[in-house]
Amino acid sequence: MPRELNVRAIVIQGLAILLLCAIIEILAGNVLESMKEQLAVALPGLILAIPPLLDLRGNINGALASRLGTALHTGVIEPKLSMSAELKVNIISSMILSFLASATIGLLSVGVGTLFGITSINVLGIVTIAIIAGVVSGIILAAITVMVSIFAYVRGWDPDNVTAPLMATIGDLLTMISIFLVAILVV
Amino acid sequence: MAVYGLRRILWESYPVLVLCVVISLSAGLILDSQMGSIKAFPLILVMVPPINGINNNVCSILGARLASALHMGTVEPKLGKQKVLRKNTRATWLMSIGVFWFTSAIFFGMALITGMGLARSIMLMFAFFAASMVAIAVTMWCTVGLAFLSYIRGLDPDNVVIPIVTSIGDVMGVTCLIIAIKIVMGV
Repeated sequence: MPRELNVRAIVIQGLAILLLCAIIEILAGNVLESMKEQLAVALPGLILAIPPLLDLRGNINGALASRLGTALHTGVIEPKLSMSAELKVNIISSMILSFLASATIGLLSVGVGTLFGITSINVLGIVTIAIIAGVVSGIILAAITVMVSIFAYVRGWDPDNVTAPLMATIGDLLTMISIFLVAILVV
Repeated sequence: MAVYGLRRILWESYPVLVLCVVISLSAGLILDSQMGSIKAFPLILVMVPPINGINNNVCSILGARLASALHMGTVEPKLGKQKVLRKNTRATWLMSIGVFWFTSAIFFGMALITGMGLARSIMLMFAFFAASMVAIAVTMWCTVGLAFLSYIRGLDPDNVVIPIVTSIGDVMGVTCLIIAIKIVMGV
């Protein structure tokens, strides 16, 4: 219980990981800024999908990291890189969620964009970008999440305080890069 | 016996993710409605992933900690006389101040290097810091409220509270950022 009550320990452990996250987020911001031409001219409406796409990555991989953290602590999954049935279910479910939710984001962005009168919206372009960027970054991140979770478990890091924020942040950067690359290919 | 069912993970997560997409889309709509300011001041785009990402990380950590504390009984779902809750929110404040000062200082450096001038760079630094403090204050209390609600209703904090908190965080981050930049930088 003393760990629970020690403000200084929480702040120090949290800050170390948050400062690293801040730097990665600024990199993600620079990728977004470098797309300003596409956002303003070539693909109106794409900016609608960016907060949900970034958020989705954090949600799916943060939840995956937490579930893996719990599974490792309870011994359901062993800390080695072999495909057990439990690990497979976790990874496959986050892949399916990535696809479903990315497609939902694409369609809802187009719907909301049309509703709010954003003109010359490229329906196919935005849905394609959302799905491909969502799924590609999802595959890469699921692999990184598994490795980081196992590494964090072996090192004794707290999955709630370390793994989930770290994965959400790496997810933001990788998703931004994926959106950027797919947007260049599509336009 | 399988601990994790594919159907269960999907069934529990997808509806929440759709709700999150809808909330996050409003952050996208706010950005889209401010394309004029963004074109005039593209640094706004660099700031979007950091303010959203860090706000979400800080509040996810708080959400995860509160969920554990509620289950262990060290925090009760009420606001008065809550020593552990107060320590957790104080730790969250201290972490936010630390990480957002660091991030603001990096933006000050970036602004200075890109030739913005000392006075405007300092103004930009304060605008980002002020926006992040307001965003974190609102999101933090939403986190506390949702953690209590999820505990009372028996919802899984990983799959429900944290995704919703991060979506609310997106809307708060983008709103506060745009307002602060418009007021302070006059774009």
